[in-house]
Amino acid sequence: MSFNFIGLRTVAAFSARKLLMNRRWMMVALLGALVALVMGYAATEDGVTMDFASELMVLLLLAFLLPVLSLIYGASMIRNEMDDRSIVQVITAPLDRRISYLGYYIGLVMVLCLLITVVTVIGGAAFLIFSPVRDGGLQLIVTFIALQYLGVMVYSALFLFLGTLMKQPIYLGLIYIFIWEGFVASIPGSIGKVTIRHQLQVVGSELTDFGSWASGDWAVSILALVLVTALLVLAGAFVLRQEEVS
Amino acid sequence: MSNVVEARLLSKWYGEVIGLNNFSIDVPKGITGIVGPNGAGKSTFFKLLTGNIKTNVGHLRVLGEEPWQNPALLSKIGFCPDYDFLPPDLKGREYLHFVAGLHGMDGARTVTRVNDVLGIVSMTKDADRAMGGYSKGMRQRIKIAGALLHEPQLLLLDEPLTGTDPLIRKEIIDLVKDLHKVHGHDVIVSSHVLHEIERMTHQVALIYKGRSVASGDISEIRQLMSDHPHNIVVEGRGLVPLAQMLLTKSYTSSIELRADRLGMFVRVDRPEEFFDSLPELVAGTGCELERVESLDDDLESVFRYLVG
Repeated sequence: MSFNFIGLRTVAAFSARKLLMNRRWMMVALLGALVALVMGYAATEDGVTMDFASELMVLLLLAFLLPVLSLIYGASMIRNEMDDRSIVQVITAPLDRRISYLGYYIGLVMVLCLLITVVTVIGGAAFLIFSPVRDGGLQLIVTFIALQYLGVMVYSALFLFLGTLMKQPIYLGLIYIFIWEGFVASIPGSIGKVTIRHQLQVVGSELTDFGSWASGDWAVSILALVLVTALLVLAGAFVLRQEEVS
Repeated sequence: MSNVVEARLLSKWYGEVIGLNNFSIDVPKGITGIVGPNGAGKSTFFKLLTGNIKTNVGHLRVLGEEPWQNPALLSKIGFCPDYDFLPPDLKGREYLHFVAGLHGMDGARTVTRVNDVLGIVSMTKDADRAMGGYSKGMRQRIKIAGALLHEPQLLLLDEPLTGTDPLIRKEIIDLVKDLHKVHGHDVIVSSHVLHEIERMTHQVALIYKGRSVASGDISEIRQLMSDHPHNIVVEGRGLVPLAQMLLTKSYTSSIELRADRLGMFVRVDRPEEFFDSLPELVAGTGCELERVESLDDDLESVFRYLVG
């Protein structure tokens, strides 16, 4: 496999541009506004603390916004191009499809990191503006941004893979987010640990003292997340290479 | 290597639908037209050539190489599909720079090359406009420019004339001819209209229901069209004596006279002879003809004839 770096960069930049130009940004703006509204309102409650802010951000950002945005953007990225056949330009270029897949993945990660950063900063700022307690607030925002970058890496790999593999990836993605991570993960015992969110929360426990987080070895969690990401990206690249595009 | 494409007994099916069926063809250098009605398998053939899909059965070589999972081969091929995939918000020049990037091209050389291909397809003036505002002809040209950008040896143009008006059609036909004559590309171009292809090349392959039914010089194809049996409708007055005369001719296989005696269907084995002798027969029988028309003087009927 020859490595066409310019081709990789082109696919990443072009696919990122395509995602940003998409009208879905209106929905992202709506979700961002919702996060800001909830966090701003919660900050006006009596006896509010940074622990409370941290738990609110886990719920709004880590458990909801991060996986949902990753699903919306990731599952449709390559699938839409296959459906409207605009992928023809990429797959008829002298660029190994595995490299193209990596380009799509990088483009997706870049866009999601940007959106997550904007929403987290707006939500965090809304909380800090209305909250009487502000100490450690900035550190908490930075922590959540970093944690979500790690989450973007894994969720993007998962949903991009599903979108390449299946014609209707949204349903399985929703089942994963709301049934597996939302319900099965709350079942007592070790099964609850087999989720991306749990592993992110273990890493989060190491990054900040605010809030209550899942316990565990953060180094093992990072390793597990990186490993899962690598496996999913490799699997997606393999699927795209084998895929007939008619 | 004398042929740019060699296909032997190719078959490709999508579930229960057959795209190509025991399809064999040799495509020589130069311009070759692939002609067939919609759904004949032309686009399937192009997708196989570009490695978008793989064959189920058979042997395919493009520029001497197997195309499936062979991205290196794509540096020698430029593909212009029949469908529209251009991002409407992108300018023509931006699109070409994107295509150049996919081909690993960068820097000043790319700027020069983009300007060159814009000149070749006569799109320099409109290159800095968003492609959403392009006409059909302009969109075809910019697609061709994208296919040309990396200076491929072989250009694949799938139905480049579809949906274009006569003026644009002439310009694209001239462009295709120049791509070979002036710029040295080998071109495979498809269409469902024989006379459009005929204006670009004399080297033609007919494809019907997934099979290559004939290939060679256009004059041979034309001969097939004139040689195969025709159903001819004849209308006018005093047709009975004409029908009697026609029945004595060896080229006539059957005649069906309408009840009102003002029209008849004549089936002839050798249409050329029929049309040559018709003036004499009309003069001899004194009939007055209002309409003489072959119902089979088109490609579709040739295809049906050739595949039995």
